[in-house]
Amino acid sequence: MEKSLFRYIWRHTRREQLVIFAAVLASLPFYFWSLDLPKRIVNEAIQGGAFKDGRATATFLEIGATPPALFGGGPRVTFFEGFTVGQLGLLFGLSTLFLVLVLVNGAFKYWINVAKGALGERMLRRMRFDLFSLTFRFPPETLRTVKASETATIIKDEVEPIGGFIGDAFIQPMFLGTQAATAMLFILLQNVWLGIIAASIVGIQFVVIPRLRRVQLRLGKERQIASRKLAGRVGEIVDGMEAVHVHDATAWEKAEIGERLFHLFDLRFRIYKWKFAVKFLNNLLAQITPFFFYSVGGYFALKGKLDIGQLVAVIAAYRELPPPLKELIDWDQQRLDVQIKYDQITQQFAPERLIPEEVFAGAEADAEPLRGPLVVKDLRVMDSHGSPLVEGASFAWDLPARIALVGDGGGGPSVLARVLARRIDDFTGQISIGGRDLRRLPEAVTGRRLTYAGVDPILFPGTLRDNLVYGLRHRPVRPGAAGDDAEQRRRRLEASRTGNPEASPDDEWIDYAALGLEGADELDHRLLEELALVGMRDDVYRFGLSGRVDPARYPHLAEKLVEARGLLRAKLADRDMRQLVEPFDPARYNNQATIGENLLFGASVGGAFAGRARAVNPLVRRVLDAEDLTDELVRMGGDIAQTMTEIFRGLPPGHPLFEQFSFIAADDLPEYEDIVRRWATRRASGLTREDRNRLLVLPLDYVEPRHRLGLIDDVLKARIVEARMRFRRELRGTLWEQEVELYDAERVCGAAPLRDNLLFGRVAHGIADARERVTKVAGEVISELGMRDDIARVGLDFQVGPGGRLLTAQQRASVALVRCLVKQPDILVLDGALASYGDAQAASLLATITEAYRGRSLVAVLRDEAQAADFDILVRFTGPRPQQVRGPLAPAAEGGEAGVGAGTVQQPLRDSDKATTEPEFERQTP
Amino acid sequence: MTLDTEVQSLRQVPMFKDIDPARLKLLAFTSERVTFAPGQRFFSQGDLSDAAYVILEGRAHVMLEAPTGVIKVAELGRNDLVGEMGILSETPRSATVLADTDIIALRIDKRVFLELLGQFPQMSIAVMRELAKRLERTNAQLAGRAS
Repeated sequence: MEKSLFRYIWRHTRREQLVIFAAVLASLPFYFWSLDLPKRIVNEAIQGGAFKDGRATATFLEIGATPPALFGGGPRVTFFEGFTVGQLGLLFGLSTLFLVLVLVNGAFKYWINVAKGALGERMLRRMRFDLFSLTFRFPPETLRTVKASETATIIKDEVEPIGGFIGDAFIQPMFLGTQAATAMLFILLQNVWLGIIAASIVGIQFVVIPRLRRVQLRLGKERQIASRKLAGRVGEIVDGMEAVHVHDATAWEKAEIGERLFHLFDLRFRIYKWKFAVKFLNNLLAQITPFFFYSVGGYFALKGKLDIGQLVAVIAAYRELPPPLKELIDWDQQRLDVQIKYDQITQQFAPERLIPEEVFAGAEADAEPLRGPLVVKDLRVMDSHGSPLVEGASFAWDLPARIALVGDGGGGPSVLARVLARRIDDFTGQISIGGRDLRRLPEAVTGRRLTYAGVDPILFPGTLRDNLVYGLRHRPVRPGAAGDDAEQRRRRLEASRTGNPEASPDDEWIDYAALGLEGADELDHRLLEELALVGMRDDVYRFGLSGRVDPARYPHLAEKLVEARGLLRAKLADRDMRQLVEPFDPARYNNQATIGENLLFGASVGGAFAGRARAVNPLVRRVLDAEDLTDELVRMGGDIAQTMTEIFRGLPPGHPLFEQFSFIAADDLPEYEDIVRRWATRRASGLTREDRNRLLVLPLDYVEPRHRLGLIDDVLKARIVEARMRFRRELRGTLWEQEVELYDAERVCGAAPLRDNLLFGRVAHGIADARERVTKVAGEVISELGMRDDIARVGLDFQVGPGGRLLTAQQRASVALVRCLVKQPDILVLDGALASYGDAQAASLLATITEAYRGRSLVAVLRDEAQAADFDILVRFTGPRPQQVRGPLAPAAEGGEAGVGAGTVQQPLRDSDKATTEPEFERQTP
Repeated sequence: MTLDTEVQSLRQVPMFKDIDPARLKLLAFTSERVTFAPGQRFFSQGDLSDAAYVILEGRAHVMLEAPTGVIKVAELGRNDLVGEMGILSETPRSATVLADTDIIALRIDKRVFLELLGQFPQMSIAVMRELAKRLERTNAQLAGRAS
C-alpha cells in the first residue's frame, strides 16, 4: 500500500478526478452569476435603476458582445435582441432567471455528488480488496500474531470512513474552495472593505479552529486504538469462554472489560468537550460577521459608496460563504483523521516482511511435475527463542520417493515436514526440488503439485463437496452459466476499474480434464471413493439420508426414490411390519405426524409455513376459520399450555429437557403462564388476539401417540383432513404456492429429507425398536435398487457449518485429508493428519496411502519406525538432528560418505554425530 | 390411555411413590410409551443400558444367561420397574428381559432420567431411599441365611 493516502487515491482515480474538476470549473460562472443577480434584481428591477431616465421599458436577456479592441473594436454585435419589458416584467424575468440558475447550480451539485460518491465507493472497493489481498502475502510467522477478528474489523468497518472521504479527498477542497473564492471575489468586487472584513474573519477561522481540533484528533486516535483492542479482547474472551468458566474468571473478565469501557467513555467524553468548544467558536465567528456587514456596509450605503443592491448581494453572498468554509474545515479535519486511520491500517498491514508477489503471479496450470532431486543443504530452523528445531539437515533424494520422518518425541520431524511443504519459510540453508529453489516456487506450483495435511483441519462453511474440491479451484476454466449479458459486462467493467478480479465464483473453476474426469458426476464418484478410503463413506451416506433431493439435479435418484417407496412398503407388508410405518395418504389423517403437518400435507420451502409462522399465516387462518377449527385448536393450545407450564415449572431456563420436550421455549414460559391463568379463569373470552395466536402455535406440533395428552378424537381428525383439502384448493394461485411443497405419492418432495421421501410416511411412535427395524428394511431396499452411491452424492451437499463444526473431529480430519488426496499431488506431506483416527484405522490408512503413492512422493511424520516399513527412505531425528538411516544416500554428499546400496540400513555413527556437533561448540566459544 | 393414567401407574412404583405429582407427570411426559409383542426383547444381557421401563400392561420375565444355560430369574407384571439398576450404575445389562404377552411399557431414557435426578433432589432422595431399602433387605436376607 502507498504510504500516503492522497497519493494512493490520486494514482488510481486521476482520470475521474480530472473530469469532476472540469465540471466544477464549468459550474463556477453560473455560481457567480447567481450571486450577481440579486444585485440586479434590487437595483434595476425593484429600485427601478433600469428605468431611471424616464424609460418605460428595458431589454431583458439581450445576448451580444462588444468585439475587443484587439480585433479593431467596433459596435456591439447583438446575437439575440432580447425582450422588451416593463418594470414588473423585468422583476419577474430576473427572478425567473435566478430560479433557473438555482436549478442549474443544483444540477451541477447533484452530478458532482453522484460522481464523487461513485468514485469513493470504487476506491473503497479497491482498498478493501487490496488490504484483503495483502493478507495472503503475510508470511506464516506474521499470521501467528495477527488476530483474525481485528483484521476483519479493519477491512469491514475501519476502512468505511476512509471510503467516504476518498470521494471528497480532492474534489471537496477544490469545489468548496473555488466556490468560497468566487463568493469572496464577488464581495471584494462590490466593496474592498467588506471584502477585507470577510477575509480576515475567514482567516481566523482557518487558523485557530484547526489547531483546536488537533487535540480532538489525537483523542480520536486513542479512542480508535482502544476500541479496536476492546473488540479483540471481547473476541478472545468469547473464544476462550470455556477457560473462563473452568476457572471461574467471569468476575475478572467483567472487571477487565468494564475498565476498558470506562477508558473508552473517558476518551469520548473528552472528545465531546473539545468538539463542542470548537463548535461554539465557529458559530460565534459566523454570527459576528453579519454584524460588521450591517454596520459597516450600512455606513457605506448611507455615505453613498455602496448601493442597496450591492449591500443585499454582499449579505447574500456572505450567507453563501460559511457553509463551504465550514465544510472545508470539516474536510481538513477529516483529512487528518482519515490520514491517521489510514496510517494505522497500513501499519497493521505492513508486517516486517511480505511474501514476494511473484510467488502468486501467473504460472500455468500445467506446470512441470515436482520431480528430480530434492536437495536439502544445511537446513536450520530456529524457534522464536533461538533454540534449534531442526539443524544440520542435509539430504539429497531422488523424487519420487516415499520418505518417513521419525522423531524421538521432539518437534523436529514435523518442522522439517512443514518446511518441505513450505508452511515454514523462515529457515537458513537451501532447499531445491528439481533444481528449483523451494522458496521461489510460485504458489501455483506448490499449491497444486505439493500438498500438506496437518493436524488441524481447516474447513470453511459450505457443503461437504465445496470443502473437498477446495484444492481444485485454482483458476476459472470457463465462464459460468450466467453467460455474457449486460449485467455481467457491467460487473467486469467495475472489477477492472477497481483492481478487483474479473473472475466470478460462479464460473467453472474445476478443470475436470486435467483430473482425467468427464465432469461433475465423475468427480463426485472420485470424491466418494476417496472418502471410502478414509472410512467416511457411511457418514456421507447418512448425511445423504437426511439431505434434500432436488429432482432437477438428481432426476435419476428422484425416480428411484419413488420406486423405492413402493418396494419398501411391499417388504414391510411381507414381514408383517406394516404397522411400523403409517404412510401419507391424502385422504386420511396421519396419527404419527403433527397436526400442522396433517394440515399442510407438505413440506415447508421458505419460512412462511415453518414453525410459528404457520400459525399466523393468513391462508392457514382463513382455512381454519372456514372449517371452524380455530377455536377448537386454541382450546387444545390452552390445554397443552396448561400441562406444559405445570410440568416444566421449576426447570431452569436452558435445561436440555426444555429443548427436547417442551412445546414452549423456556423464555416464553412466563408469558404462557399468564395466558394459562387468564384461560383458566375466563376461558376463551379472557384471551387477546395475540394470546390466541400464541396458543394456536402449540397444537400444530402435537402428535397424539407421542405426547399422549388425549386431545384428538376421530371427529377432529376427519375435520383436519377436510381442512387439508380446503388448504390445497385455496393455496392454488396464492403467493404462498411456492412456499410449500405438497406430498405426492408419485413425486419426490424436494423440501423434505431423503429419508422421509423414501418412507413417505411416519414411523409409528410407541412400538419398541420400530425405527431400527424400519431403518434396516429401508437399507435393504436401498441396496437392492443400487441407490447407495446416489444417496451418498446427496450427502456431499451436507452443510459442514462454520469451521466444519457440524462434523466430528475425525470427519473434519478425513475431509481435510481427502481434499489433499483428490488433488493427486506429486508430493504429499502427512504431518499428523491421521492423529484423530484410532490406531488400527490410522495404520491401515497409512498403508493404503503409502501403497497409492508408489511412484509419487510422500513425506510422512511417523510416531515410530515400525510404521515406516513400506517407506523408501527413513530419517530418524535425535532432538533437532536428522539422520538418514535407510534408503539411498546422497550420491555426492559432503564428507565423501557416498552411500550407494538402495535399501541398506545405515547405522547412525556416534562419530559422525560428534563431527557435526563439534563445530557448533567451536563457534560458540571463540 | 393418557398421560394421567401413566402417572397413576408410576405412583405405584415404590421408587417413585413419594415424588411430587407434577414431577411424575414430567417423568411420564419425557418418557416414551412403547409396545412389545410377545417374545420381543426389552434388552439383552450385555447390552448398553440406555433406558429403564415401567410395565403398564402385560407380563414379562427376566433371564440370566449363565455358562450352565438360561435361568429364569423373575417375573414382571403391571407397575413393575425394570432396568433401572443398569442406568444408575452405568453398567451393561446384567440380564435379559423378554415379553411374555403383548406389553405396554413406559420407556424412561437414561439421559433424561439422570437429568431429572440432577435437577430435582427430591427425586434423587426417593431413588436413594429405595436403593437403601433394597440393600437393607439384602443384608437381612444374608443375615438370615448366615444364622
